[in-house]
Amino acid sequence: MRGDILGLVEKAIIVDHLIKNFEVIERKPGLIGAIKSVFSPTKKTIHALKGISFTIQPGELVGFIGPNGAGKTTTLKILSGLLYPSSGFNQVLEYDPWEKKPEFLKQISLVMGQKNQLWWDLPAMETFELNREIYEIPKRNYEKNLEELVNLLEVGSLLRTQVRRLSLGQRMRLEIIAALLHGPKVLFLDEPTLGLDLVAQQKMRDFIYEYNRKTGATIILTSHNMNDLVDLARRVIVIDCGRILFDGALEELTSRFAKEKIIKLSLAKEDNIEKLATIGSIKKITFPQVILSVPRSAIAVAAAEILQNFPVNDLTIEEIPIEDIIRRVFKGGLKHA
Amino acid sequence: MHKYFQIFKISFQQEFAYRLNFVMWRARNVMQIILTFFLWNTVFYDPSREVFGYNKEKILTYVFGILVLRAIVLSARAVDMAGEIANGDITNYLLKPVSYFKYWFTRDIASKTLNLSFAGVEALILFLILKPNIFLQTDFLMIILFIVSVAIAVTLFFYILFLVNLVTFWMPENGWAAQFLFVVILTEFLSGGAFPIDILPPVLQHILYGLPFPYLLFFPLQVYLGKISGLAIARGILTGGLWIMVLAFLTRIIWPRGLKRYSAEGR
Repeated sequence: MRGDILGLVEKAIIVDHLIKNFEVIERKPGLIGAIKSVFSPTKKTIHALKGISFTIQPGELVGFIGPNGAGKTTTLKILSGLLYPSSGFNQVLEYDPWEKKPEFLKQISLVMGQKNQLWWDLPAMETFELNREIYEIPKRNYEKNLEELVNLLEVGSLLRTQVRRLSLGQRMRLEIIAALLHGPKVLFLDEPTLGLDLVAQQKMRDFIYEYNRKTGATIILTSHNMNDLVDLARRVIVIDCGRILFDGALEELTSRFAKEKIIKLSLAKEDNIEKLATIGSIKKITFPQVILSVPRSAIAVAAAEILQNFPVNDLTIEEIPIEDIIRRVFKGGLKHA
Repeated sequence: MHKYFQIFKISFQQEFAYRLNFVMWRARNVMQIILTFFLWNTVFYDPSREVFGYNKEKILTYVFGILVLRAIVLSARAVDMAGEIANGDITNYLLKPVSYFKYWFTRDIASKTLNLSFAGVEALILFLILKPNIFLQTDFLMIILFIVSVAIAVTLFFYILFLVNLVTFWMPENGWAAQFLFVVILTEFLSGGAFPIDILPPVLQHILYGLPFPYLLFFPLQVYLGKISGLAIARGILTGGLWIMVLAFLTRIIWPRGLKRYSAEGR
């Protein structure tokens, strides 16, 4: 708020040359291997983050994408103060997360898809009451937040049921409530839709969108769910092998990483159709439709050539679908691009 | 303070979540007391017989005293800490404005409160049934000193347990081993849980009194029985208090180092 008045927007998150190494003891397979590793452990250093830098403005909703083990979750854990960085600088809401100051912890939340904080044997309401005291949420705010969250996530009837008796989707929504009761200004969501069915996924997405819009909270989201990213994230940061490969608008991902464009044709005659292969690689032929993939740099020449030499009814040039690019990101394919 | 009161409340509810478990566990306690009673009753069938300076009345009081003290001092929830550190559940607490140390201490106190209230009822019933010859302390000052020494014992044991569980940060798979060594073997034998410490050779006794273990069970019981002088009581309370300070200091050094080692796994 102070920044707004002065006309400069303070950053919600600053990460600068952040490095995180883990030391792990390698386990050899089998019983003999297990015994060996007790007496002469082989240590191995894993370079989880190799010096990443980025900043995030208040109110932004940013998607972290990358294959498994890329360093996404490690980054979130450092930003929420769980992990101690090996070197580099990181700051969230002007705090050093590692210090775990209560004022800092009261303003953030980390939600991990497969990690639960709800007390398993008790109704969710008990955990909510506990969080109210732990976060010292004033009673009025608590009741207002709880009512809003319960309505948004449609869980009114589940609050008094033992958590162990709920389905994963129901539990996940209650987990989200437990994580948001204190109204965090910065929210780290690690795979929030993991394991949910399609309807529940959509509910969760709608909720995240609404929460960001209504409260102006800064959100970082990691997901392997394409729709999460396409629906929610305007800006994406692509991480692979501990490095940032891309940081920008979701749409720019395509122009940056797709070396090809798509030409869609509708032909009048089937004659010489195989000759199209000399112009670009044929993706699909279902006469009269033909789909070609052509290198980005040659697209104009290719289109002109087709129009000249083939009986074309219709021709459109398109970008490769964003989903295909993201799919390649998940496979770790971008570094070869 | 409100937050820890809430933790106390939720721990209480948690304890009741497994009712059958709870009942079985209480039944086991009662069985244990009855067995112990008849064992020593048989050993000392001749009331004038003395072993290591203990006659029937004294040994029965000792055994019953240890049972009660064990329920207060050694019953602890914090043994679950190692599991939480190893499987990453500790993450939930590190993310919140709450002290992990105080969190577990509160849960322990809740567990002890529940334990004690049930043990009290059971003890009364057993006392009426078995009618054992047991020494009841009536000196008010001694009772106060006894309560102080129990408070020291509870704090001391919690620090030991907390520190031992921190080993898990370095050796996620071996947390239980450290706990077994310390909690089961050391505290059991060196605290007077298995046998009265004063039957040991004087040299060994001397060494033991320099360690924190006798102050867990043996010392509070001696205070209750009025078996030691005022000076020895003062020395014991002082030694116990000093150990608390040493362990508190160690905790302050080791806890942040453990956190740096923590890799928030299990996900």
